[in-house]
This record gives sequence, structure tokens and C-alpha cells, in this order.
Amino acid sequence: MLFNSIHFLFFLPIVVGLYYLLPQKLRWILIFVSSCYFYMAFIPKYIFILFFIIIIDYLSAIAIEKNEGKLKLTYLIASLSANILLLCFFKYFNFLNDNLAPLFSLFGKDFHPINLQIILPIGLSFHTFQSMSYTIEVYRGKQKAEKHIGYFANYVLFFPQMVAGPIERYDRLGEELKKEQNFIYQNISDGLKLVLFGLFVKMTIADNIAPFVNQIYNDPLKHSSEEVLLGVFMFSFQIYADFFGYSTIALGSAKILGITIMDNFKTPYFSKSVTEFWSRWHISLSSWFKDYLYIPLGGNRVAIPRWSLNILIVFMLSGLWHGANWTFVVWGALHGLVLLIERYFSKIFMFEIKKEWSLLNVFLILKTFIVTSFIWIFFRAENFNKAKEIISVIFINNNIKFNVISLKVPLIAILGLIIFDFFQYNSRFDKKLNTFKAPYRWAIYSFLLFCLFALSGTEKFSFIYFQF
Amino acid sequence: MIKKIVIKICLLILITIVLNIIYNLTFYKKDLAEKCEQILEINNNQATTDIFYFAESSNFNTREDDSIKNSISEITNFFYPKLKITAINKPASHAGIFKKWLTQINLKEHKPKAIIVTLNLRSFDAAWIHSKLETPLQESMVLAQPYPNLINRFLLSLQAFDNKTEKQREKEMLNEWENTQLIFPFPFKYKTVKEWDNSMANGSYIKADGSWDNDKIELACHYVKSYAFNIKESNPRIKDYDEILNWCNINEVPLYLNLLAENIEYADSLVGKELVFLIKENRDFLVKRYSKNNCIVVDNLELVSGKEFTDQTWTTEHYGYKGRMVIAKNLAIAIKNKFNNDYKNLY
Repeated sequence: MLFNSIHFLFFLPIVVGLYYLLPQKLRWILIFVSSCYFYMAFIPKYIFILFFIIIIDYLSAIAIEKNEGKLKLTYLIASLSANILLLCFFKYFNFLNDNLAPLFSLFGKDFHPINLQIILPIGLSFHTFQSMSYTIEVYRGKQKAEKHIGYFANYVLFFPQMVAGPIERYDRLGEELKKEQNFIYQNISDGLKLVLFGLFVKMTIADNIAPFVNQIYNDPLKHSSEEVLLGVFMFSFQIYADFFGYSTIALGSAKILGITIMDNFKTPYFSKSVTEFWSRWHISLSSWFKDYLYIPLGGNRVAIPRWSLNILIVFMLSGLWHGANWTFVVWGALHGLVLLIERYFSKIFMFEIKKEWSLLNVFLILKTFIVTSFIWIFFRAENFNKAKEIISVIFINNNIKFNVISLKVPLIAILGLIIFDFFQYNSRFDKKLNTFKAPYRWAIYSFLLFCLFALSGTEKFSFIYFQF
Repeated sequence: MIKKIVIKICLLILITIVLNIIYNLTFYKKDLAEKCEQILEINNNQATTDIFYFAESSNFNTREDDSIKNSISEITNFFYPKLKITAINKPASHAGIFKKWLTQINLKEHKPKAIIVTLNLRSFDAAWIHSKLETPLQESMVLAQPYPNLINRFLLSLQAFDNKTEKQREKEMLNEWENTQLIFPFPFKYKTVKEWDNSMANGSYIKADGSWDNDKIELACHYVKSYAFNIKESNPRIKDYDEILNWCNINEVPLYLNLLAENIEYADSLVGKELVFLIKENRDFLVKRYSKNNCIVVDNLELVSGKEFTDQTWTTEHYGYKGRMVIAKNLAIAIKNKFNNDYKNLY
């Protein structure tokens, strides 16, 4: 089920109503059933994939906790392998096959790959990573194995964040799901504010930018350098508005149920470096890779060459996590490279200026935005050829006149996003709003409602991160 | 706390009402022009219109060699120079769309003297009902729903309409062709459209050199898929036409259903008398069902000769000038029962 659907606008109030009417001991059943229903609105039979993950990781965690030594490790490896194999089968099977063919031909052998005609289960990368974090924590002894399969299932399935994160840890979300939640007015109020704001960001901002970006990326050679450059910058805003909008609705929906999930974004385009960008963008994924890959690889407590390699490995795998395409790997690698450059030349790139909005800081923010926007090209382009076309059109004037659809709507949408990011800088929309007096708050609600109702995009674009 | 919640809900409703007014004054017309200009046309013309003519592309489509390009509704209007007939057209539209256009007529402002709606036989077939064009058509009608305009606009963004994919619609169409039994009062070897179509596709036309005449085969198959069906009460178009009739009865507006001509000649020569039987039986069903006090079915089914159809290699209700003229004249004569004093015999 999509958050930006009429279906969800009926689903959420019904779930919330039933949730607060039911006694605490029965609420897990409601969350379980409603989450299954939410997921099955996409492709019903894929719910069995989630059940498989739940059963494997639930049993593995119990076995890991009960055993010691090699057996304990064996159970962990079995659990992780099951998750990774599942991910590989659905997401990377065709990618691996396609890459094996040229490899075989290098050795003069024929390899005819079989391409599976399967649709990737929505959000598979999110719930496998979330579930894996649980078994790893149990293995490390930092998390007790959950004995109630219902609570564990809800940790994997919890509908507000199941398909596009944030990737939660069991010690936080698991405990939140178990806690008795009373009907607290402030939770409902804050949750609704976040849902409204999230819908506004997704439907009014991202969906109004999307047609322009699609037009550019579908056929860059038909557009002028200026248009393509604008398209590249606009994609930065589109993907942010799209993913941030989703995460905000997820946060709000959970908050209405009294459940707090983590913030996945902190105004990332106000970062002064790429290093800072990654502490503000898709925070739950960054921290997952940090805890379960970067630190086990040695983190920064190794020699510089090894540390550099660690950074590159982490970023390239993070790219691959997004999609089974070399363009994503390059996207990750470029981020890793820029981060290394920033660290090597930290005296030049990573200095602190106390005055928040000083001219130099604004310059650094712009620099970071331009760099990340350029790197996004590899994320958005279907393949290297397209990315090459985009880059060549930007740098080589092709004498094509500015001929794209009206820019007014996407530019106003972007301006709106920047203004709201200023508004919630180093805070969060609901928290910031609560510092205002009622008439101002209601004026902002009215503005958001009007924009959402009257000015949202009329073409439907699915959330970009659903495909991961 | 309950008092606080009730106050806030009331405030929210009040804000929504105000926002709806603001929307009506600002973006509504722009959205209509972009998504459903027909509603705008109805709104703009209704004060001066005597008769509304609702149609698909049959009304305005012309042939390249036509010296006169007037539409059916315009030619009909020539017979009634004192009246204003306003055509509201949209390609691929059907009764399900026409009934929504009807509700846009503000009767308090000006009541039309009659409504003419095309009755297109093919619009009852599975290919049209499950056409891929249905999704954009349904999208265009979201703004015409009986809710406040601001809510309709939001529903449009949420894509809250019959928004099936092309694949889903095609599946439904194929399912209907495969499973709906054709009913004949005489023995006939093909039970479904699929069987009939398969038989036509397997070398029903052979050229002199012994090879299959694929152009003719394709056209024959297309005729089978377009006309081989029995209209039943359960057909969604029947419900739509019933609603149109009902609206006209309640509001005491005379209704004329302009049953369009089909290429019977080609249906007969390409496929055979069984197909012509089905076409005529469906016509009889509709004429019988809708020839009631307030409604007249204007039967043009067999009035246009095969060569007068614009599309010679496909089934459409697009006519050359002669065809449009014949239909317009027939229609003009039919509406004389209400507008005899305004009638001017031109030809």
C-alpha cells in the first residue's frame, strides 16, 4: 500500500482506532494483521518471503543465545546466509548472471545466463538488513533473543517503516512495540503534523519535480546544457523530497500509535562536507553499515591504506545495496572517494566555523550540494551510457535551445523545500512547529493543506526507495 | 480532551471549506482546462445552449478528401438555425463519461431543451470496455465527481479512480473473449469470440497465389472482436444509459440516443451473416429498451454504405461527409417531434 493513496488514508485511521480500543495484550495481533494487509496490497504472495525471514531469524536468534562457540557462530552464519541468499536470488541473480557471461568469455567459454522474470519484492533490502541486525546483536550478546514470535514478526513487519525504512534496531523498535501505549493527545497531534508534512513533501514537492527530471533523464541529448544541469540539480531535490517525505509519513504514522522510530534525515543539503552529508542522509543505513561492516573491518583503527580500502568497500556495498547495477556501485564509490579526499585534506575541507550561516559556510554547503548532485547522476541514470550522455551534454554545448516544459512549478516546489528545511534545520518539523503560537501553527497547517490538496502533482510516482 | 479534539476537528472543517473557496477562485479552472476541458465547455456554453450533443470522435472526425468538414452536430444544427446545438466531444468516451457530463449541467441556471447522446454499439464490446484508453478517461472525470472541487483535486493526485494498468485491462478483455458464450437462436460452431477469432485467423482468406491474405484476415478478426457479443442487462454501458435516461426523466429533458451507423456491408462480406445477425440483434435490444416516452432512439445503423466509412481497414464510426450528412439529417428529422417549428428543410 502506498502512503500517498486513498487506501492508506482510510487504512491508518481504522488501525489507529482499533489500536487504542484494544487491550495491550491484543495489540500485537492488530499490528501483525494490519502490517500483513499493508504489505499484501503490493504482491500478496510475497508475504511468504517475509514470513520466511521472520521464522529463520527468530529461530536462529534463540539458537544463537542458547549455544556457545562454533555452534553459536554457525547459527549466525546460517541466519545471515539465508537472508543474503534471499536478497541475492530476488535482487542480484540476474545482475550476477549478466556479469558472469563476459567473465566466462574472457576464458573463451560460453555462458548463457538465465534471466529470471521476477518482480523484486518491495523493500526487501530494508527488511533483510533490519532482521540481520537483530541476529548480529543477539550474537554479540547485546540483545536478548525475543521469545514471542509475534513481537519479533512485528519488528520486521511494522507497516510504517517496513518497505523503505528507517532500518531500525531491535533494542529500540522491538521495545517500543512491546510498551503499553496510552492514548496521548500530543502523540496524535505530532503524528498528524508529520503525516501532513510528509505528504506535502512527497506529493506537492517531489511529484511536481519528477516530470521535469524524467523528461531530462529519458532523453538528455534532446535538451540544452542548461536544462540538463537543472535536471541534475532537480533530481537531488526530487530524491530528497521523495525519501524524506516517505520517512516523515512513516515517523508520523508510528507516532500516532505512540511508537517512536528514528529520524532518517537531518536537512542533508545543509551539510558542509560529504562526510557530514552521510550523517544527515539515510541515517539508519549509514549507521547499519558503520556498525556491521565498517567497524568489523577495522574502522579507522587501522593503517591509512587499509582504512581507505574500508571506506571504499563500505560505500561500494552501500551502492550495491541500492540496486543491482554497476551505476549504483560507482555512485557509492564516488561518495567514498570524495569522503577520502575530504579526510586526506581535512585541513582544507573540514574546518569549523562557528557562525552557522557565515558566507564561507554557505559556500561549503553549495560545494557539497554540487558534488552530491553530480554523483546522483550515476544513481538516477539507467546505465553508464545515459550517465555519459548527461555529463557530456552538461559540459559540451550541443546548441539546443531551452525547450523543456514549464519550469515554474518545479522551481517553486524546490523553493518551498528549501524554506521548510531552513525552518526545521537541526530540529524536526513537529518539534519546531510546537514552539509557535496556535494562530501561526494553524496558518502553516492551512498552507500545507492547500498545497497538498490543490497543488500536488497529478501523475503518480511511486516512492523511489520502494524499489530497493 | 474530547472538547479540545472536537474544536480542532471543527476548525479543520472550517479551514477546508475556506480553502475550497480559494481553490475555486484560483486554480480550479486551470485544472479543468488541463484535465477535463469538456466540463469547462459545458459551464461556458450552458446559458446559451438549447441542445447538448454528447459524443465520441464520431461527431468530428472527417475524411481527408471531404470538401465540407462540418461535424454531425453542426450539420444537424443547420436544420435548426434558431437553436444552438453545443457539441461536447472526447475521443473514446462512452455512456459512463456522458452521464458524468450530464451532472455538470446546472439546471438552475439554464435547462437545455434536449440532450442528444450517441449510442455506439461498439462501446458495449469488451475491447472498448477494457480499453487502455479507459484509464485516462477515468482520470479526466475525477474533477467531475459530486464532491467539493478541492477534494476532487486531491483525489486526482491520489489517483483515486479506476486506475487499472494496461496489462490488467487486457487480461480482463481476453478473459471475456475466452469465457463469454455467444448466444444464437440457430446452431453455430463457435461458442466464444476467441474460438471465432482463431478460426478467422487460421487462413480464412487466401490470395490467388495460395498465400494467406493477412490484411483481410486481420480485418475480419477485428470485426469479430468488435461486434461478436450479446448485449445483456449486466453490460456496464446499460447501467450508464439507464442512468442517463433516469436523469433526463427526473429533470424532464427530452433525450435522443443517436444510434451510430456501423459498417454492416464489410461485416457481412468479411465475416458473414452470423455477425450481422448479432449486430442487428443488439440494435433491436437497445431500440426496444430505450424507446420510451421521454426518449427516442434514432436508428442510423444501416444508413451509411461501406465506402463512406473513413477507416477502411479498421472498425470505427468515422464517416465521410456523405455519411455524416445522412446521420445528421436522420437525427434532425427525429428531433422534429419537439422542435418542429424550428425545423428548416435544407436538402
